[in-house]
Amino acid sequence: MNSLNALFPLLTLVVGALLVLLLEVSIKRENKSYLAYTSIVFLLICSFFCVRSWGKDFAYFNNHLYLDNFALFISFVLIIATILVTLISMKYLSLQNSNIGEYYALLLLALSGMLIMVSSNDLIVIFLGLEVLSMSSYTLAGLKRDDQKSSEAALKYFLLGSFASAFLVYGLALLYGVSNSTNIVTIINFFRAESSMSLMGLAGLGLVIVGFGFKIAVVPFHMWTPDVYQGAPTPITAFFSIGPKAVGFTVLVRLLFPFWHTAFDSRVIFSLLWIISALTMITGNLIALRQTNIKRMLAYSSIAHAGYLMVAILSQDTSGLLFYFVVYLFMNIGAFSAVIALGKEDKEYLDLDDYAGIGFKYPWIGATFAIFLFSLAGFPPTGGFLAKFYVFSAAVREGLVSLVVIGVLASLVSVYYYLRVIVYMYMREPTHEVDIHLENPALFLVLFLCLYGVLQLGIFPGNVLVIIKQAVNTLAIF
Amino acid sequence: MDMPIISIITFIPLAGALLLIFINKDREDLLRTIALILTLVTFAISLSLYFNFNAQNPDPQFVEKGAWIGYGIDYHVGIDGISLLLVLLTTFLMPIALLSSWKYIGKMVKEYLLFMLILETGIIGVFVSLNLFLFYVFWEVTLVPMYFLIGIWGGKRRIYATIKFVLFTMFGSLLMLVAIFFLYSMYYKATGVYSFNIFDMYKLVLNPSIQVWLFLAFALAFAIKVPMFPFHTWLPDAHVQAPTAGSVILAAVLLKMGAYGFLRFAMPLFPDALTKFLPYLGVLALIGIIYGGLMALIQKDVKSLVAYSSVSHMGLIMLAVFALNVEGIQGGIYQMLNHGLSTGALFLCVGILYERAHTRLIKDFGGVSKQMPVFAAFFLICMLSSVGLPGLNGFVGEILCLFGIFKANTVLAILGVTTVILAAAYLLWMFQRVMHGPITNDKIHQFKDLNKREIIYLLPIIILMFWMGVYPQPFLRKMDASVEKLINQIDQKRTYFAEAKGEDKNLLDIEVIESTAEDHQEKEETAR
Repeated sequence: MNSLNALFPLLTLVVGALLVLLLEVSIKRENKSYLAYTSIVFLLICSFFCVRSWGKDFAYFNNHLYLDNFALFISFVLIIATILVTLISMKYLSLQNSNIGEYYALLLLALSGMLIMVSSNDLIVIFLGLEVLSMSSYTLAGLKRDDQKSSEAALKYFLLGSFASAFLVYGLALLYGVSNSTNIVTIINFFRAESSMSLMGLAGLGLVIVGFGFKIAVVPFHMWTPDVYQGAPTPITAFFSIGPKAVGFTVLVRLLFPFWHTAFDSRVIFSLLWIISALTMITGNLIALRQTNIKRMLAYSSIAHAGYLMVAILSQDTSGLLFYFVVYLFMNIGAFSAVIALGKEDKEYLDLDDYAGIGFKYPWIGATFAIFLFSLAGFPPTGGFLAKFYVFSAAVREGLVSLVVIGVLASLVSVYYYLRVIVYMYMREPTHEVDIHLENPALFLVLFLCLYGVLQLGIFPGNVLVIIKQAVNTLAIF
Repeated sequence: MDMPIISIITFIPLAGALLLIFINKDREDLLRTIALILTLVTFAISLSLYFNFNAQNPDPQFVEKGAWIGYGIDYHVGIDGISLLLVLLTTFLMPIALLSSWKYIGKMVKEYLLFMLILETGIIGVFVSLNLFLFYVFWEVTLVPMYFLIGIWGGKRRIYATIKFVLFTMFGSLLMLVAIFFLYSMYYKATGVYSFNIFDMYKLVLNPSIQVWLFLAFALAFAIKVPMFPFHTWLPDAHVQAPTAGSVILAAVLLKMGAYGFLRFAMPLFPDALTKFLPYLGVLALIGIIYGGLMALIQKDVKSLVAYSSVSHMGLIMLAVFALNVEGIQGGIYQMLNHGLSTGALFLCVGILYERAHTRLIKDFGGVSKQMPVFAAFFLICMLSSVGLPGLNGFVGEILCLFGIFKANTVLAILGVTTVILAAAYLLWMFQRVMHGPITNDKIHQFKDLNKREIIYLLPIIILMFWMGVYPQPFLRKMDASVEKLINQIDQKRTYFAEAKGEDKNLLDIEVIESTAEDHQEKEETAR
């Protein structure tokens, strides 16, 4: 249905971002939390619009912006992620002495870029959204201006990100060259009509996948991840670990799922992605074993999780993928929130040694963090188990048994490093004093919400599965 | 009976754990008392399972089934003759384990009790699940509390031991998970219905070449848990490092989950593969018996001696189970209970010694019986029960096991008898060095004999040992029907494929047979 309604979520976000910028210059206050509240209000309005559009298939701009349930579901996940990240940022920013108002505006803009990406079928529009997202992300990564690591992160992210964008654009050009269109449907139809392999089209598609491979951080395009994750402000790391990833995978779903049914070219790409998936799971988990910085460890863990998600891409399991996103959202933001909770003025505790004895000194933070780690490692009855369960069982059904075996063995490796954090928290005597700033209600709210999410999704995921089913059913697979 | 008894006994401990969270952690005695009462209540309720259990009915009873997540994932629990006694063993030993650690666990009492209660829920859940998914969930859930129990309250090398324990177990169970997915998708392809129901899976007849892989995945997970040689290396570490109560639960119940898994899943699901691997499994079990016994002989630490004795005893149990006849399987299950009682009791005795001496090395002891006569009597009975002295429970179990093995394979049986000889050797020798002789260590002069609490928790075990040794009928008769059904089931599926081959039928990868024998006969008749 062609309707202006399709624009409302986006407009809300942009208006919100601009308003935050204006408020920040007009009201000069030391405490910036009112900006956070403003942006949360706009995020809630945005999510309201998303919920209202559910099942209505609003479209605008000649169908270049198309809100099917699939797009709405991902948008909703992203909005929740942004709300949670906003909440955990409030205290963090003032403690870490980087309390600038643009922060919230940039978050909103990044989100709007992601919403554009998930709700379009046109690669040019997707690229547009990607650039909006990227520009905001580069800035956000470098937000701690007096911290060298943060600047390094921003620069690295910028350089490699632009590199990836270049790949993407080049791939786009090739695809346009062979199919005369930037629309995914038309491009896939071109492949379908081909009676033999089309090298140029294949190269174009490959380059597009490489471009998104950077965004979702799969091996061998993952090099930037650990440094950026380590250097960026921790809430932003949490944001990076879910946002761009979910978006990248969404585009891959739209691009590749119809493509799998084409005759000739799909096998090449399929086996390529098979290798990428296996490599990602193995490399991510193995390198994570050696990390002593918790943020780097979580960075490699997020690489490994991209590998699991890749399995879902290969087995065409959209519902498993969506469920994984939801679970991943809660467990990963939860884990990062716990990391943020262990901090005070101008100090973050990020070394594994800092975690010794935390479990008994701060039992609630310790226990929730432990549950998030168990969930990341895939122990039942947490959501992480069920998410892996869906992805892997669908893959076995599609005959990808050897990939699944690699996957479960890789996740066995992951058990070691996730549990190592718990070993430090509960089984080692503290080596030095760690005292943290405990007055942080917003953060504890987030911890609680994430804990609830992880357990609810692990034990009674029924409702979410129903919604996911509706979202997947409308996904136009031409 | 309309009461969901099984759910009640499964989840009382978990509910108790949630309750404990809200109690101030400094009120340690209150916490301990609540946990103890909860486990006692669980035991009392589980007794009603025993009394209401219909021994003639081979199928699961007290079945509860409810939709849970969908896609074949249901909440489906029930108890048959095989799981009944194992559940009772769990609920019986839990209060004893808590009592035994009343004083010993001095730090973080609240967390300790939490994990013990969660562990109980997990273990009972494993034994009552009739849905593969549910089973797997409980199976993994037991890992977490055990991981903490060893890791927080364990000995010096606890972190190494606990990580090893988790990684070993998960290695097996993750591969089993893949096999479960495979079964699940096979069933879906054959019928178009999603199901994790174990009875649906039983109907699935798989091509033997597929069975081999699935069986290997299942068998690996269970063999690690049992543990069978050569996957046993985690066990001595875990046992020696675990606190007493942890060792008791680990040896008495957790290991049984492996053997139970063989009986419930690996064997009836993949009978052809089972036949193929039976010789190898038998030999591995036999190696376990002899190797475990020999290793136990040379241990310097009492606790690791008992740990290796577990390897040896579990080897005998597995050998009996693999005999695939009524005597063998019944003996195996009965011996599981015996092993739970006697090894559990031995760990308790070692714990009692350790609490007094703060050492477990055999050479530090000697002449303890002079100082602790009551304890010496208890220890002696537990030890003899483990050796298999007639009149005590171990004897009945071992005799049945050996009968079964003899029927199946004489050579294995003759070699298997070494378990009794070796057990007598290492246990009696240990007992002699620890309890008799001159008092070499001055500390021993200050040893106090058993206090009331210790007598209270040892006494029920001793009584049960005599009872099970003298009059085993009440226990054995409960499992008759289920064991027979299990054996028939395995045979029926085996012959199905053999016949299909004989008839030159085109063998599909999967087929679904109706479970009842009559249906099977009808099919044959129509085929003719």
